Amino acid sequence: MIMSTTDSQQQHMVLDGDDVGFTSGETVLQVAEREGKKIPTLCNDPRLEPFGGCRLCVVEVEGIANPVASCTTKAEPGMVVHTKTEPIEAYRKLLLELLVSENREVDVDALRGYASQEFASLVDRYGARTGRFVGSKSGSSRLDDDNPFILRDYDLCISCYRCVRVCAEQEGDYAISVMNRGFGTQITTEFNGLLNDSACTFCGQCVQTCPTGALADKKALKAAELPGAIHKTRTTCAYCGVGCSVDILTKGETMVGIHPAMDGPANLGALCVKGQFAFDFVQHEERLQTPLVRGEDGELHETDWDTALDRAAAGFKRAVDTYGRHSVYAVASGRAPSEAAYIMQKFVRAGWGINNIDNCSRA
Amino acid sequence: MPCAGRCDEPIPVIRGDQVLIGTDANDLESRPSPVPSPNPQGREECVFRHIREPDRSTIEGYRRTGGYDGLTLAVSELNPAQVIDIVRDSGLAGRGGAGFPTGVKWQAVADASGAPKTIVCNADEGEPGCFKDRAIMDHDPHAVIEGMALAAYATGAPRGFIYLRYEYPETLGTLQRAIKEAEEAGLLGERILGSAFDFTVVVRRGAGAYICGEEGSLLNSLEGRHPFPRNRPPFPVTHGYEDRPTVVNNVETLASVPHIVRRGADWYRALGLNDLAGTKVISLSGDVKRPGNYEVPLGLPLSTLLYDWAGGTGSSRSVQAVTMAGVSGGFLAGEDLDVTLDEPSIRAKGSFLGAGGIMVFDDTRDMVEIAHFAMEFFAEESCGKCFPCRIGTERLTERLAGTAGPTNLTAWLDEVNDIGRTMKAISACGLGMAAPLITESLLRYFPERVAQHVAHQARD
Repeated sequence: MIMSTTDSQQQHMVLDGDDVGFTSGETVLQVAEREGKKIPTLCNDPRLEPFGGCRLCVVEVEGIANPVASCTTKAEPGMVVHTKTEPIEAYRKLLLELLVSENREVDVDALRGYASQEFASLVDRYGARTGRFVGSKSGSSRLDDDNPFILRDYDLCISCYRCVRVCAEQEGDYAISVMNRGFGTQITTEFNGLLNDSACTFCGQCVQTCPTGALADKKALKAAELPGAIHKTRTTCAYCGVGCSVDILTKGETMVGIHPAMDGPANLGALCVKGQFAFDFVQHEERLQTPLVRGEDGELHETDWDTALDRAAAGFKRAVDTYGRHSVYAVASGRAPSEAAYIMQKFVRAGWGINNIDNCSRA
Repeated sequence: MPCAGRCDEPIPVIRGDQVLIGTDANDLESRPSPVPSPNPQGREECVFRHIREPDRSTIEGYRRTGGYDGLTLAVSELNPAQVIDIVRDSGLAGRGGAGFPTGVKWQAVADASGAPKTIVCNADEGEPGCFKDRAIMDHDPHAVIEGMALAAYATGAPRGFIYLRYEYPETLGTLQRAIKEAEEAGLLGERILGSAFDFTVVVRRGAGAYICGEEGSLLNSLEGRHPFPRNRPPFPVTHGYEDRPTVVNNVETLASVPHIVRRGADWYRALGLNDLAGTKVISLSGDVKRPGNYEVPLGLPLSTLLYDWAGGTGSSRSVQAVTMAGVSGGFLAGEDLDVTLDEPSIRAKGSFLGAGGIMVFDDTRDMVEIAHFAMEFFAEESCGKCFPCRIGTERLTERLAGTAGPTNLTAWLDEVNDIGRTMKAISACGLGMAAPLITESLLRYFPERVAQHVAHQARD
């Protein structure tokens, strides 16, 4: 029998007593997660380089004296791994107790960000609200940063460095850095300034990867007091041609925020400032509800759709009759739905047989 | 006030690029760091063999007693594999504390693919109570440079760095002058001694972080990155400086090499006692009559060093405890003071010899207070990467200071033991793994004093 290429590359290890296959280069954590093991982590974001900071993902490997971080340890043929022994689970609980002791709040509003519930749910899973290890608190919030998008509530920070790493590795901005060390570690920006004065582009990826809600979505939090559960609707961001997948957050009929889709094929959890934060226009009080046409007095006046469309058609016809079809040019709005943008280009191409169509977000 | 690494003198102060010594702010003087005293038993030495000779820090003084003869011999008569064989056969192991066999490390770098390879001399001597590397670099800088050149020849590395701790400003000048002398003599640079062997050395100054003595952090710092420890594997021998094969050796390790190449592996092996190979420099300080650096044969009884060589406490008081590995090894006290100075003996007591710093505390010292100072140091120097060390060192410091924690002894001990056990098992680097040896040994040797400390908090 001839083995397929895949079979020959497949190697084997023992995971909690079961023989499992893996591909060379995979970490123990990746293999374990694929096998359905619920290994706790707080510094791990699968999109980022393994870091090995939180130590929650430690596992026992036979032949190695101390437990190893499964996120940074590569799977090896014949490796015998135990993911959930009594000592390992005790270390994990103790780490979470220590984190609860340094933090000022554990439970935070889910509107803070995509990953904001990770810490509280692990604390509950391990029953770590024991009140042990009382002592000083770490981190210090920057409530003086009055940017409209990102709340820097470092009172809740546990120094997992996911924000620092996502900004460097995913966004390439290096806007977030680390000040001091040890228990005095403080996440900040260059020269400890405001985000607006840093290299930050307000893409929001730091907010969405933060496991404690220390970095939070200020705009979404405005709806914190609004009653009702958060409902998510998957769609595609209409702003530009990249096609980032997003989940629109709503409470009842109100749109309250946007989460990037971590499994979005075009963005894998990334968004830009517009896709992440610029959604107010949808429910803005100044949004036009009826068409307007300019009257004899030079001012805009409300009217009905038939009147408005007749006026527009007459204008286009006059231009085409006078100057030819290439005198017409259309720009679709990035704030219009994708369906409207499609109809607009169809109208220009099929209606006049020209290609003078653009979108304000094309750049 | 940063540590000046001059525990053998009262009291060092760093001002600008000068280390000043004195016990009164108005009466400070700049003076060279002390030259190690000869040992009273006339034991044969390796690294200190010629260190007391006049002008030893200059190239003329160094060459007067065979300096650079080892390099000359290697380049003209030995191939790289033969140099590695000599070092491996000598039994020389890392003198910075980890004790990894030097020849094995060099062989791994020689065998590794990837170029250019690099020799890094770890001169970030930050461990409290350790000041041996400073003495070696101040008084015998060419031995370090020759050791690096031999490592480079053996492994095929064209470049080297000395990563020098910030707090040794005068040592920086000494090293730079010595490198210049060696370059002018054709012992560093291109076509060394007329051969095809090229090797350059650059001194890079640290910025005052203890963690940069950890080799992964050191390499990150050398590359201009945030000095977090690196995840291992891979190890520096294959993925070191710029992710290329790199030897990272301590100052004392490298300074031993020229003697070993000249005199042979058997000579070095025989310096140790009881089948142990070679010597170790011990930095001795605290309540001791003659503090300083002593090169001891491995296997020498601690009591011989303390009493016969260093004169005991120098008072009517008795020795209550000593630290090991600077403070990283915690304390030894009581009957455990009968150890011999070598890893097997000291590890059997739950501690380790490490970089060889030993601080002595007489019976007037409050060991809880001493433990608090040590833990406060680790908390201050924790890099903040891993959770157990970042939070654990802080919580242990608070409990030793009595500023937070249970007032019930059982609960207090549970917390301290649980934190210590977790830090030892799952911290990301040696700092977090070693720090709880302080509390562990405090509880082992001084349980009554700890109970008193906790009871005192309950009363407050």
